Amino acid sequence: MKQIVGVADMKVSNNTADAVITYSLGSCIGLVIYDPVARVGGILHYMLPESAIDKEKAAKRPFMFADTGIPRLFKTAYAMGAKKPRIRIFVAGGAEILDQNGFFNIGKRNYMALKKMFFKNKVMIDKQEVGGNINRTVRIEIASGDIFLKTSGSKEVRI
Amino acid sequence: MTALDKMIREIKDLTPMPAVANRLLEIVEKPDSSMNDITRIIQYDPVMTVDILKICNSAYLGLKMPAESIKDAVNMLGTDQIIELALVKSSAKVLSGPRKGYGLEQGDMWRYSVSSAVIAKQVALRLGLSNKSTIFTAALIKDIGKIILEKYVFKDFKKINTLVKNDGYSFREAEKKVLGIDHAEMGALIGKIWGFSPRMVKLIQHHHLRDESMMNDKEVAAVYLADCICMMMGDGVGADGLSYRFKDQLMKIHSVSHSDITGIMAECGVNMNEVKILLEMA
Repeated sequence: MKQIVGVADMKVSNNTADAVITYSLGSCIGLVIYDPVARVGGILHYMLPESAIDKEKAAKRPFMFADTGIPRLFKTAYAMGAKKPRIRIFVAGGAEILDQNGFFNIGKRNYMALKKMFFKNKVMIDKQEVGGNINRTVRIEIASGDIFLKTSGSKEVRI
Repeated sequence: MTALDKMIREIKDLTPMPAVANRLLEIVEKPDSSMNDITRIIQYDPVMTVDILKICNSAYLGLKMPAESIKDAVNMLGTDQIIELALVKSSAKVLSGPRKGYGLEQGDMWRYSVSSAVIAKQVALRLGLSNKSTIFTAALIKDIGKIILEKYVFKDFKKINTLVKNDGYSFREAEKKVLGIDHAEMGALIGKIWGFSPRMVKLIQHHHLRDESMMNDKEVAAVYLADCICMMMGDGVGADGLSYRFKDQLMKIHSVSHSDITGIMAECGVNMNEVKILLEMA
């Protein structure tokens, strides 16, 4: 079954019949994790780097922010049997508008927030397709852990 | 016949937005329009009337008493919301088709337009603009030029994309270079032919700020900024991606900070239901 991850949303599955997909990542980040032994995988689609800008909204929609969404993604996968050392990670999104610099570059800030958390927690990214001026759709098949990436106007490719 | 003549002929062959939409566009522009003016326009369009009543009485809006007439609906929800509902409804047909040239599938452009319009209301509020409906409408229909230009973009996509990928052009600049006209200018042309007000035509024409002298115009800035935020959010973005220019200068002029932008994005994240409801109406 296709599990669709909306904007500011997360889905984790251990059902080998499932594919988890998130559409149209602009400056948002699609964080894909997968444990090939437990066959647990999921996607978090977050929009913004830090929940400090609005704690109330973060409480309502924790998947909107990197700092509140990322720990939940991992914890949910662990609860389904995933183990940290086995987890493979793919990151997509974080695109930017032309000439979008500094603080206004939300895509880059989204990516940096993730890198910072990963560095602190000694987590490595296996593959990534980030930055640039394109939007991306990413999908993972739970049975195989195969990840597919599509950009508008192009065909889907396997990562 | 030049390519532009051909395009103009194609505009004339397009099915325009329904008459009720044009009349509502006029209302949006007049701050002194009364509830009665709006009621009068909508109630003479039976399909629109039924659609609006259906939406008003849906569980989402949670009205205590059912609206039985457009007058009731306007009284209960206010003029802005009724105008928005009616405009969204009447632009659905024109905006929702696939646009191959821009890599847009059925519904993509429509979702992008409605999201932009909802974001634009937030931006208008932030910039202290009182005429939120004008900004909402302009954001909703700003990409209308794509419906004519997409065939030409499709034919010359490689050329356009090479300019964007290799030569530092924005997608709009590349359209202009290759086709002689960009989708914002084309949208303005359609607006003129369909009898939109000069103000609406201006907002469509400058939604990517092709002319930097327009940066000071608060309404232009609001529509432009809503488009940038919508691009970053990503939903309904096509093969042109985020290849448009971001103007730091505009943020300075209108005192827009990065936390204003993230604040608006967060607000949209929470209120995504509003976009969903508007989309379901189509």
